[in-house]
Amino acid sequence: MSIFTLMGEYSSMQLNGVFNALGDPTRRAILARLSGREARVTEIAGEFPISLNSVSKHIRMLERAGLVRRCISGREHLLSLNAAPLAEAQAWIEKYRSFWEDRLAKLDTYVTSRKGKRK
Amino acid sequence: MNTASVAVAIDAVVVRRTIAASAEDLFDAWLDPQALGAWMRPGEIHSTVATLDARVGGRYEIVMHGATEQYPHSGVYRVIDRPRRLVFTWISRGTEQQESLVTVDFLARGQRTEVVVTHEKLPESARPSHTNGWTSGLSRLDEAVLQGTLK
Repeated sequence: MSIFTLMGEYSSMQLNGVFNALGDPTRRAILARLSGREARVTEIAGEFPISLNSVSKHIRMLERAGLVRRCISGREHLLSLNAAPLAEAQAWIEKYRSFWEDRLAKLDTYVTSRKGKRK
Repeated sequence: MNTASVAVAIDAVVVRRTIAASAEDLFDAWLDPQALGAWMRPGEIHSTVATLDARVGGRYEIVMHGATEQYPHSGVYRVIDRPRRLVFTWISRGTEQQESLVTVDFLARGQRTEVVVTHEKLPESARPSHTNGWTSGLSRLDEAVLQGTLK
């Protein structure tokens, strides 16, 4: 699938949600924590020096961005990572990489060919 | 997938290339309008016109002309440290007219020079719904690169 097709199919609202979700160090830390293994909300809260209420807010934002899934079993709320939207965001940002890689290739050609002419 | 590394990668794009030229020659190619016009030109762009005021606080404008559309880019030079480092802001349709930051480092590698481009502050301005021209241009560029036509 080309990047353009990917962009067309993936809603910008979702992508904005992903970038907003990633724009905070606590949320990134929560994602990194969940990339190891799934965890209960209370477990996550215990690992961060902020209130349960704040952690819950961060988790809800990650859920809205589609980055975290919540599985409720009785009183247990188990969180797990859903990495797919990260890949979409990564694909978007990669276009900038392509842009600069190609620019540097052209810069190489331009400068080295000029150097050749001067000799 | 390693989540932590992905999150970090999204904060900035870093691209490196080692080129058989002096740091001075490479540095000057970024601040000479004619040179910029020659190499700041993605696949489907038939011409690029650059105007610039190569001073700290000075502005630049790079307009890439495609068959049907124009892609203006502009910004201000923040650091001009010849031939080591160049820092400038980067505003385009692709950043939804918000400021992103580009740092170019020129590192001596024997007879050659490694050019390192770091493009930062992209996520805050990432608004793909407004970047169709840019992204379609880049997707064609990607295809061209994949097919080897630009290499």
